[in-house]
Amino acid sequence: MKKTSLLVAGALAAITFALPASADTKDKKIALSNNYAGNSWRQSMLKSWDKVTKQAVADGIVAAADPFTTSENQVTEQAAQIQNLILQGYNAIVINAASPDALNGVVKQACDAGIIVVSFDGIVTEPCAWRIAVDFKKMGAVQLDYLSEKMKDGGNLLEIRGLAGVFVDDEIHKGIEEGVGKHTQFKIVGSVHGDWAQEVAQKAVAGILPSLPEVKGVVTQGGDGYGAAQAFKAAGRPTPLIIMGNRQDELAWWKEQKDANGYETMSVSIAPGVSTLAFWVAQMILDGKEVPKDLVVPFLQINQADLEKSLETTEKGGVANVEYSKADAEKVVAGK
Amino acid sequence: MTALWSKLRGQPWIWSFIAMIAVWLATIAFTGGQGAGEILTAALSFATFTIIIGLGQMMVITTGPGNVDLSIPATITLAGVVATKVMDTDNARLLIGIVAALGASFVVGLFNYGLIRLLRIPPIIATLSSSFLILSTAISYGRGIRIKPPPMLADFATTRILGVPLLAIFVLLLSIGMALLLKRTLYGRTVLAIGQNPRAARLAGLNVDLTRFATYLLSALLAGVTGIVLSGFSGGAALNMGEGFLLASIAVVVIGGTSVAGGRANVPGIWGAALFIYLLDTMLNTFGASAGIRLIMTGVIIITVITIAGGDRQQR
Repeated sequence: MKKTSLLVAGALAAITFALPASADTKDKKIALSNNYAGNSWRQSMLKSWDKVTKQAVADGIVAAADPFTTSENQVTEQAAQIQNLILQGYNAIVINAASPDALNGVVKQACDAGIIVVSFDGIVTEPCAWRIAVDFKKMGAVQLDYLSEKMKDGGNLLEIRGLAGVFVDDEIHKGIEEGVGKHTQFKIVGSVHGDWAQEVAQKAVAGILPSLPEVKGVVTQGGDGYGAAQAFKAAGRPTPLIIMGNRQDELAWWKEQKDANGYETMSVSIAPGVSTLAFWVAQMILDGKEVPKDLVVPFLQINQADLEKSLETTEKGGVANVEYSKADAEKVVAGK
Repeated sequence: MTALWSKLRGQPWIWSFIAMIAVWLATIAFTGGQGAGEILTAALSFATFTIIIGLGQMMVITTGPGNVDLSIPATITLAGVVATKVMDTDNARLLIGIVAALGASFVVGLFNYGLIRLLRIPPIIATLSSSFLILSTAISYGRGIRIKPPPMLADFATTRILGVPLLAIFVLLLSIGMALLLKRTLYGRTVLAIGQNPRAARLAGLNVDLTRFATYLLSALLAGVTGIVLSGFSGGAALNMGEGFLLASIAVVVIGGTSVAGGRANVPGIWGAALFIYLLDTMLNTFGASAGIRLIMTGVIIITVITIAGGDRQQR
């Protein structure tokens, strides 16, 4: 008798566990509309999407989760792509947008057709869509907080910015300016655009470096730290404290320096796995859950102590990453 | 002196050098003379890459209106990815890596000309669409993985002799070779003749198709060389390493005094123009100009240089 009740209890438990997995969304289709795939961050983002959503489809949580990437990183192209996705009858579209406002028209069309639209990383401002945004301003500000702790006396800084005219670049830059305003012992003596690419950053830094006085620290936006380090080395200058951006090559360089001379810095960026958070959020909305329209996703910071562990788990050539499970997504939605 | 000047001002390449020196002087005037030599060294290091692809683009553009190779950035990426992956950080595999990367570039050139000649697609469309295929190949082959170059390649790409990058010396030799190719060989003369009048060239018994074919191959191979040395220079290949080289490859050709309409090529001008473009960027960065102002200034200055250089040529 006792055995049977245990079995029953076990079966009940199994049912309760299986229930959310096969809820109302098992015949729903989710699409990813992505505007660019030409760098390691985006490649990791797509890989994470693939890994998590394939499992979700296999588990019967959703019917499909197909990724679509435009070839030219253009607004018109992505707008046409989203129009196609509407016609193909997807129930939800997850977007990494080429522009915060230029896609609003087509996003509104999707909403009017009863489609759930969730934007992340490159968010859209159309009110009917959900936004999973990163606090980019804070990402700039924490760099200065870190520097002020490391260098009490302050000094000259070189700022490497991202792609000119992009929202993300402006926000991080504002955060850095705020940080400099707060920690007045620091002074930005030069600023270049590195376009989040090692080669571009290396080229720009090598150009401005000869004209600069001694540089104590380099504040960055991610994807540019290794290039900056190369430029300092080529110019025969002492390596300043360069904030890294979670790319594997940056972490590997940091580890090399740490082993050689105890180099200390920190690394901060957004985990490309934020695409999987967007997937779960879309799934939860389809499931009828109450989700606030604006969500903030924490950025991923690597400190001296976590360096080895992060480097180990980061794929060669990739970006330090966190993939979200459904439980993680629920926590973010609950604001925890 | 005046005789020398009137001889010099007749040269289409002189303007790019004047512009380059003016921009350099403005920069060091701003810094109070600090870093004058280092700025030139940095400019030489980075300009070499633009010069190599500029030489290939120059040959393509010289074969006449409508001829341009837009697949250069994608080919750079493909060659860089293939080279570093095949070499796998091993000096002993250096040669195989170079052969593999150049082989891939060769296929690109073959494919480009196949689209242009066999399918009769205009070069702009053909090379643009093939660049999507090339970049996709690079992405699926490399998967965005950054592999370090073997030490020998990295050393070759970064060594300096008395402040002059070793690479710049090699590119100087390459440029002299290209100038001789253009002026002294049947191939070079044919390129110029086709650019001036393809019909006349054909009627004169020149092999127009073979020459065009060789030119697109040459451009792809030079892009491949750039990909190999660039990945050595910047510590590995990346998917976006070719970015920024599309406009640069055309700009250095035009600013350097090569005729966009074809038929007239200029090798020294490419050096002046590549150095000028790099130093212009350095100058605006040094001035601390904001991104918007920088873009406007870059546009205005480039237009000014082309206008002065082009206007003078028409007077001749």
